[in-house]
Amino acid sequence: MEQQFTLEETLATDLSQVMPLVERIAQKVLALTASAEETFQVKLALEEALTNAMRHGNLLIAKQVVTVKVKASRERIILDIHDQGKGFDFSNLRDPTQGENTERISGRGVFLMRKLMDDIEFYDAGSGVKMVKSFRLKPGA
Amino acid sequence: MGLLIECKEKEPGVYIVIPKGEINTQTYQILESALRDNAASAKALVFEMGQVSYVSSLGLSAIFRIKLALEERKATLVLVNMRPPVALVFETMKILSAQVFASLQEADEYLDRFLDGVQKGTIKPRTPLT
Repeated sequence: MEQQFTLEETLATDLSQVMPLVERIAQKVLALTASAEETFQVKLALEEALTNAMRHGNLLIAKQVVTVKVKASRERIILDIHDQGKGFDFSNLRDPTQGENTERISGRGVFLMRKLMDDIEFYDAGSGVKMVKSFRLKPGA
Repeated sequence: MGLLIECKEKEPGVYIVIPKGEINTQTYQILESALRDNAASAKALVFEMGQVSYVSSLGLSAIFRIKLALEERKATLVLVNMRPPVALVFETMKILSAQVFASLQEADEYLDRFLDGVQKGTIKPRTPLT
């Protein structure tokens, strides 16, 4: 069984690039953790972060890129996604599960990332995000 | 993984929608375009979600947009038979809580009440979002 992996990729801003990379990383996480549940969570948080970086960070400008760095072991995964946009005010995000926000069409990505990962930290005024998740070690693993 | 959509009429104006695969950044538009005509004329859409293995926020938004379009015409949608990880995404986001059912039988009771309300005029069209 694989013990760890690292990965560094630079993606052009193109939404069709998101899922192939997400899928590739998800397969590696599954090989590492043997947990469909934790793989689902990492996959979803990563898709949200990449989609946000391309849509809201790089504003879908094709010549701008998103860099993705992943460092994973059987204990935890660190995902670092950075875009070339101007960032955003991450200190003042609406809670999409409260009141009239539940009726909004968008604005759920960052909330999902926070729910799925153990730690999430924005940097560079919000143009970068680092997410950490610890995996539950299986008995005898 | 891609997304395939099967859609069949259960009774006049009520359609069963069977998505198969993932509703994600790459596929959410497949769902919206496949249902554009049905969403414009249906009384109700029943999403049979048993073969959906994954949904992301763009997938949630796509389903939510279809719901709003339906409600502006006094129509509705329900989602049934979700797999646990997908159900957890909906629960976490507290989205469409009133329209999620464990089975088609449970959803049918809701739909009967809803369609009865439309007939009696107690269901009003939703005001379009600005």
